Amino acid sequence: MKQSFVFTGSGGQGIMSAGITLAHTAIDMGKHATYLPEYGPEQRGGSAKCTVVINDDTIVSPLPRMCDNLIVMNEVALAKFIDDVKPGGVLLANASRIKGEIERDDVRVIAAPVDDIALEIGDPRVANIILLGILIGATEIVSKETLIESLKDKFKDKKPQVLEMNIKALNSGIEIGEQHKIN
Amino acid sequence: MGEKRFMKGNEAIAEAAVRGGCRFFAGYPITPQNEIPEYLSWRLPEVGGVYVQGESEISSVNMVYGASAMGTRAMTSSSGPGISLKAEGISYLAAAMLPALVVNISRGGPGLGSIQPAQSDYLQATKALGHGGFHCMVFAPNSAQEAVDTVYEAWEYAERDRNPVLVLMDGCLGNIMEEVELPPMKEVIPEEAPEWSLSRRNGRDYQGNITPIYTEPILEGLNAMAGEMYKAWEEDDVKVEEFMVDDAEYVVVAYGIASRVSKEAVLKLREEGYKVGLIRPITLFPFPKKSIHDLDYSRVKGIIDVEMTIPAQMRDDIELQVLERCPVYEYGRSGGCLLDDDGVYEAIKDIVAGGEA
Repeated sequence: MKQSFVFTGSGGQGIMSAGITLAHTAIDMGKHATYLPEYGPEQRGGSAKCTVVINDDTIVSPLPRMCDNLIVMNEVALAKFIDDVKPGGVLLANASRIKGEIERDDVRVIAAPVDDIALEIGDPRVANIILLGILIGATEIVSKETLIESLKDKFKDKKPQVLEMNIKALNSGIEIGEQHKIN
Repeated sequence: MGEKRFMKGNEAIAEAAVRGGCRFFAGYPITPQNEIPEYLSWRLPEVGGVYVQGESEISSVNMVYGASAMGTRAMTSSSGPGISLKAEGISYLAAAMLPALVVNISRGGPGLGSIQPAQSDYLQATKALGHGGFHCMVFAPNSAQEAVDTVYEAWEYAERDRNPVLVLMDGCLGNIMEEVELPPMKEVIPEEAPEWSLSRRNGRDYQGNITPIYTEPILEGLNAMAGEMYKAWEEDDVKVEEFMVDDAEYVVVAYGIASRVSKEAVLKLREEGYKVGLIRPITLFPFPKKSIHDLDYSRVKGIIDVEMTIPAQMRDDIELQVLERCPVYEYGRSGGCLLDDDGVYEAIKDIVAGGEA
C-alpha cells in the first residue's frame, strides 16, 4: 500500500532527520521509499518540510499534493499545510507549540506535547523521534525493531547515551500512538 | 547484484562518476547541486583522484579542460546560473574535441531565479550550451538509479565522440533520496588514457596538439564533422521510454521529474478508462523525433507537453514532429513551485475530457 508523509516545522526541529529515518527504515524492511527535502536558504529557523512516500512497489511519482499523514511541529506549519492532508488521514501535531483548535474534523488528529515530553526524558532534541514513535504506534507503517536498527546505524559514531535517549523517546512515542491506533 | 544504498540523486551522481572512472572534479558551489562537489571532495581523494573547488565557475570548467587534455576522466557540475558562466569553457571543450561530463541540476530562472527546483534549462541544454553552434549529447534521467546508470556510461560516449556530455536533472531529483544499486568500479589505467591525450604523447615526436584555435578551412571541416556526428547520434543514440502509447488518443510528452508525475497521472486516467500514454525523452539531444513523428494521427487527438517550467520549452521540438496533425497543449509549474500528482492529473484530464465533449 502506498502511504505519504509530510513532516513540517522550522529548521532545527529535526524534520529532515525524522523523514530520512522513516524512509530508511521502510527500505530496510524491503519496501520502496522516496524522501524529498524542501527548505529555504536559511541555515536555522527557516521553514522546513520533507515528503516521504512509502510503497510496496516502485514509486512512480515522489510528488503527491495531498498526503496521508501530516506531521506539524509548530503553528506556522499547521496554518500553511493543514489542508494538505487527505480526508481520513492522520494529522499529528506538536501540542507544545500548537495551542489553538485544529480545524479539521475529517482527519484523525493526534496532538501530543512532544517538546515537553522530550524535556522530561532529558533532551529537547528527541522531540522528532517521539513523533515518529507516535506515528508507528498509531499506524504501524514500519516496525519498531527495524527502526531501532536504523537508529543504531545512525548513531553508531556517537556516545551510547545518544542511542539510549532516542530509544527511550521512541518508546514513549509508541505508547502514546498506541492509544490512537487505527484499526 | 550491485551494492544497494539509499542516496540523494546528487550523491548517486557523484558516486557513479567515481565508479565510471572520473578522477578529476572542479566546480564552484551553487544550490541545488552542492551534494555533488561535497561528496566528491572526500570521495575522489580516496581513489587517488583530485577535487578542486575553483575560485569561480569559469576557472573550474577550464581546469576540467586541462585534466581532460591529459586523458583524465573529468567533470564539473553546477546549476543554471553557473552553467551560463561555464558556457565559454564548454564551447572550448567542444572546439578542442575534449570529452568531459557536465552536470546541470537545474533550478528556477531566468537570472538568479530561485534556488528551488525547475526544468528551466531545456533550451540552453539542447540548443546552445555555449557560443559557436555546437551540441552535446544531453541525458535527462528521471530517477537516482537512472542517473547512476547514465553517469556511469557518460565517458564512454564522451570519449567515443571526443565531445562533452551533459546530464540535465532538476533540483528535485538531485535532492530526492531513493534506493540505488551501484555498479562495480571501472578500472582506470592512466597508461591507457585515450590515444590523442597529451599524457600519451609526452616525450614523443609529434606535431599535433590540443587546441581550440584553427585556421578557416580546418575549422569548416571540423564543423562539418560535428554535423555528421549529430546525425549519427540521431541514428544510433536516441533513448526514449514509450508507455501505453499503442492505443493512446492523448500522448503526454515529459522528461525528468515531470515524466514521473505524468506517469502517475496516466496510470490513474487509464484506470478511469481514458486512453492516455506517455513518451519520455531520455536523451533530449538527440531528441526522440521518430517516437512523436510516427504516431498514428488518425487516432491521436492531442499531445500534452508537461514540464516544470513556464512556458514549456520542449514544445517547439514536439511541434516540429507533430506537424499540425493534432493540437499540442502544455501544462507546467515554474519558478520553484513544484509539479504535483493532483495538479498534473487534473490538467491532463481537463484536456482529455474536454476533447471528448
